Amino acid sequence: MARRALVATAASIVVLAPLAWFWQASLMPGTYSIMDGHGGHQHHGRGVHTLVADPARAADVRVTLVARKERFRLPSGRAFDGYTVNGTSPGPTVRAVQGQLVEVTLVNESVPDGATVHWHGIDVPNAADGVAGVTQDAVPPGGSFTYRFVAEQAGTYWYHSHQVSHEQVQKGLLGAVVIEPGTPRGGVVALVHRYGAVRTVNGYAGDVVQPSAAGERARVRVINTDNGPMTSWVTGAPFTLAAIDGTEVREPAPVTGQGVLVTSGGRADIEVVVPEAGARIELGGDTAIVLSPPGSVAGKRSPAPARMVDPLAYGAPAAVAPIDPGRVNREHEYSIGRRPGFLDGRPGLWWTVNGRMFPDVPDFRVAEGDVVRFTVSNHSGEVHPMHLHGHHALVTSRDGVPATGSPWWTDSLNVASGETYEIVFVADNPGLWMDHCHNLPHAAQGLMAHVSYEGVTTPFLIGGPAANSPE
Amino acid sequence: MRSFYRTLTFVIAGLVFVQSAMAVWAVSGLSKWVDDGGVFDKSVIESDGEMPFPEIWGIIIHSMNGTFLIPLVGLILLIVSFFAHIPGGVKWAAIIFLLIAIQVTLGYMSHGIPLLGMLHGINALAIVGVSITAGRRVAQVAPASVTTGVAGG
Repeated sequence: MARRALVATAASIVVLAPLAWFWQASLMPGTYSIMDGHGGHQHHGRGVHTLVADPARAADVRVTLVARKERFRLPSGRAFDGYTVNGTSPGPTVRAVQGQLVEVTLVNESVPDGATVHWHGIDVPNAADGVAGVTQDAVPPGGSFTYRFVAEQAGTYWYHSHQVSHEQVQKGLLGAVVIEPGTPRGGVVALVHRYGAVRTVNGYAGDVVQPSAAGERARVRVINTDNGPMTSWVTGAPFTLAAIDGTEVREPAPVTGQGVLVTSGGRADIEVVVPEAGARIELGGDTAIVLSPPGSVAGKRSPAPARMVDPLAYGAPAAVAPIDPGRVNREHEYSIGRRPGFLDGRPGLWWTVNGRMFPDVPDFRVAEGDVVRFTVSNHSGEVHPMHLHGHHALVTSRDGVPATGSPWWTDSLNVASGETYEIVFVADNPGLWMDHCHNLPHAAQGLMAHVSYEGVTTPFLIGGPAANSPE
Repeated sequence: MRSFYRTLTFVIAGLVFVQSAMAVWAVSGLSKWVDDGGVFDKSVIESDGEMPFPEIWGIIIHSMNGTFLIPLVGLILLIVSFFAHIPGGVKWAAIIFLLIAIQVTLGYMSHGIPLLGMLHGINALAIVGVSITAGRRVAQVAPASVTTGVAGG
């Protein structure tokens, strides 16, 4: 009898011990540096906080953003428990002219977990990137932090907290950024955000009427701040996809009957010549910007088109490739998968990078001046909007098909399951940069890695006294 | 232990009934919501907090139940089978556990390869069938040896 009980106990141990071991091995310390655990890591070098815009230069644009946790009214009138910037959500649009030095002071009035501001899509100096635990400590209630950067790229961008971002972004700590070239392009911001179950544009639900003149060329700056890709299309007029992720498309051709996929965190500037009857810029199907000349009536939305504008082949190619593929001297692979396991003790099916689960994901090392090629592939069964901080990457191919259209510069790339992209960028902005999934709950579930420059280190810690938690 | 084993097999079968009910409840709620003008896309799936329609609970329960609860009960059944001394009991428990593992895998992989969803639906019936069979046969097979305090129960 005893022998039998022994065998049963042994069998149980054989089943349970590996589980216990994997569980234990997955537990994360409360505080650690993103520099830990990677072979040849460096604790000496330039600190990220020294990578700043010229401190001697005076600011051209000064903005103060006050973050609060509160119950507030959306522009639509609905009450919502969340976060505001200067008393509203979305927060105020930060505007600058190309070349201006922008200085933004974040004041955290009452966000208990602390807050930061990340400039999504703007290649700021690393110290201004706003990632808690990597480039700064989360700003505690009562504290403040100043971000300084030169607005070098004209285009449509946005800002959001990068502390407990999967919660703070969803609940409203965000706003738009528009950087105009010397000759302004104008246009309407269409910041799309889901507050709870309701999708809104600039905080309004349903149709948002924008008075326009018939015959006017109107630009709608679509910003998808949600966690899933969104289809945008136009009812009532042909349109051009004028810019992607802030970069102008060369010679964009007018299209009809097609949509534009705006991935999480991504932007698309859509231009139409407003017809007399008006035009609707459909945003996901339940909200729209209605460009409405006097006397016109907002028409009904058209069905979502099945075909999408493919940026790989849209617009005119540049005479000379913006980055010579022959100059690539550093290659990295970013392969996204999924497997069962434990993440910090929690069982589940978790995302993997190159087969490894967070925090054992690769450290994508580069040196300043490198021309870097990333091969990003997704084998995980779900779409991932991949966001690289601090750089714009040029898409050179998808599934082996080379890009033939206007140079496709992106910072937020929709990588569907089964797809493989090759992207190239110049390592010209030293620092420690997140390269993560902008479906923010996915980042919190471990789909997050870093591009780190040789000789750069961070004094900031994940966890620590500031309780930094960038995801 | 024998009756605990038997109970667990029926619990697994019952939980699969719940899975099936939740899936259809969610799809029905979705189709009504879309009919009423709702738009369903990835951002709805990913949004926290308030529910666009209550039947979303069907998806949430299906996913929690399928990812955590049923595998956990399957694991407990396997452990219990070591102690229950039911002839063939370990084998049947292992088959159930294997089918559950396949089921979870199919469920997640079907997001990328929808055809696997068909197998997910069919495998659910297999889990129910095998679980009920494993439970019913407990009464039909004699205990492996003398029933003592350890083996009984």
